[in-house]
Amino acid sequence: MLRESMQSEGKQVALAGVTSGFEDGVDVAHAAELLEFTEAVVLRDASRLAAARAALLPLIGGAGLVDAAATVAAFHGFVRVADAIGIPHFTSPAGGELSGLRAEAGVDTFYRMQGAAH
Amino acid sequence: MSASAFAETALPVRADLPESHERAWQALAAAGTWLDGQRRLAVAAEIRHAYGCAHCTRIKAALSPNGVAGAHDSLGELSHAEVELIHRTVNDPGRLSEAWTQSILALRMSEGEYVEIAGIIAMVMMMDTFTRALGLPDRPLPKAVAGAPTRYRPPGARKDAAWLPIVEPPDVIEADGPMYPSPKAGYIYRALSSVPQTMRDYWALANCHYLPGAAIYRFDLPTMRAISRPQTELLASRVSALHQCLY
Repeated sequence: MLRESMQSEGKQVALAGVTSGFEDGVDVAHAAELLEFTEAVVLRDASRLAAARAALLPLIGGAGLVDAAATVAAFHGFVRVADAIGIPHFTSPAGGELSGLRAEAGVDTFYRMQGAAH
Repeated sequence: MSASAFAETALPVRADLPESHERAWQALAAAGTWLDGQRRLAVAAEIRHAYGCAHCTRIKAALSPNGVAGAHDSLGELSHAEVELIHRTVNDPGRLSEAWTQSILALRMSEGEYVEIAGIIAMVMMMDTFTRALGLPDRPLPKAVAGAPTRYRPPGARKDAAWLPIVEPPDVIEADGPMYPSPKAGYIYRALSSVPQTMRDYWALANCHYLPGAAIYRFDLPTMRAISRPQTELLASRVSALHQCLY
């Protein structure tokens, strides 16, 4: 979805950043601040989150901050539905094969891909 | 916290977000398909309690989640199977497995109960994460509404593609109620379909937080949110990666 959204704006993205944290940057406005906000929410670090909100607010505005929070919140739900029900992960919603994409994004390093889950 | 409690923030919260929370909490307080309102709210309370579980911290830190001795720190209102399902899904969802799911079901939890609880976890975590991300406190849990679960199982639910049964779009019948916006709905949409009311409650909430279902794969549309689509997907992909989610 990230790659598709970037391509719709004529941009490219190195998907390895999804797992590495985009330390080399990504061509998305205010990416560093958005990623810091995301990590603070996921880690449930209240003081880090307050600082991340303060940094992000002047950049994307109040409505933007609300929608950033809503998106991060939505994916706290999505990942739990997907992982608790064990839906197939080898094809895209459109039916395409995803092994190349998984390798590029570094997802192949995840626990469940290591054959250690059983 | 009612819908008006979002007034505690100076941020311009879209009206549909507090409205979706209000509807979701009302739904969670009422009887569901396999759990009554009191049990559904006990699940919600255990979800919040799970964040501080020392056993979960040890599991999370272990190379394998399967061999860690000990017991979860629970509120004591739910069964061992329910507590294990809640704590592991809340704190270490990326390392769940089909074998683990079967171990939960072997403790005499029905597939319907499992799916309904998974849906409650996703809904409560979505709402609580949103309020916390804005610096607001958790909403106090509502009071349970009396009523009996419907115990409705869709005849078309089958275990095939996923660890739990799902209802494929061609197998939906009228008695299931509204199910899919499109016959091409992805597996993430189908995941909770063996408990249709839970699926509907979950997606009513999720579509308000992320994007309406019809817009998710339409990258040609102007952004519907106050952040761009690449910004939205950057956030989404990073949350998924931090959870080691493959989807």
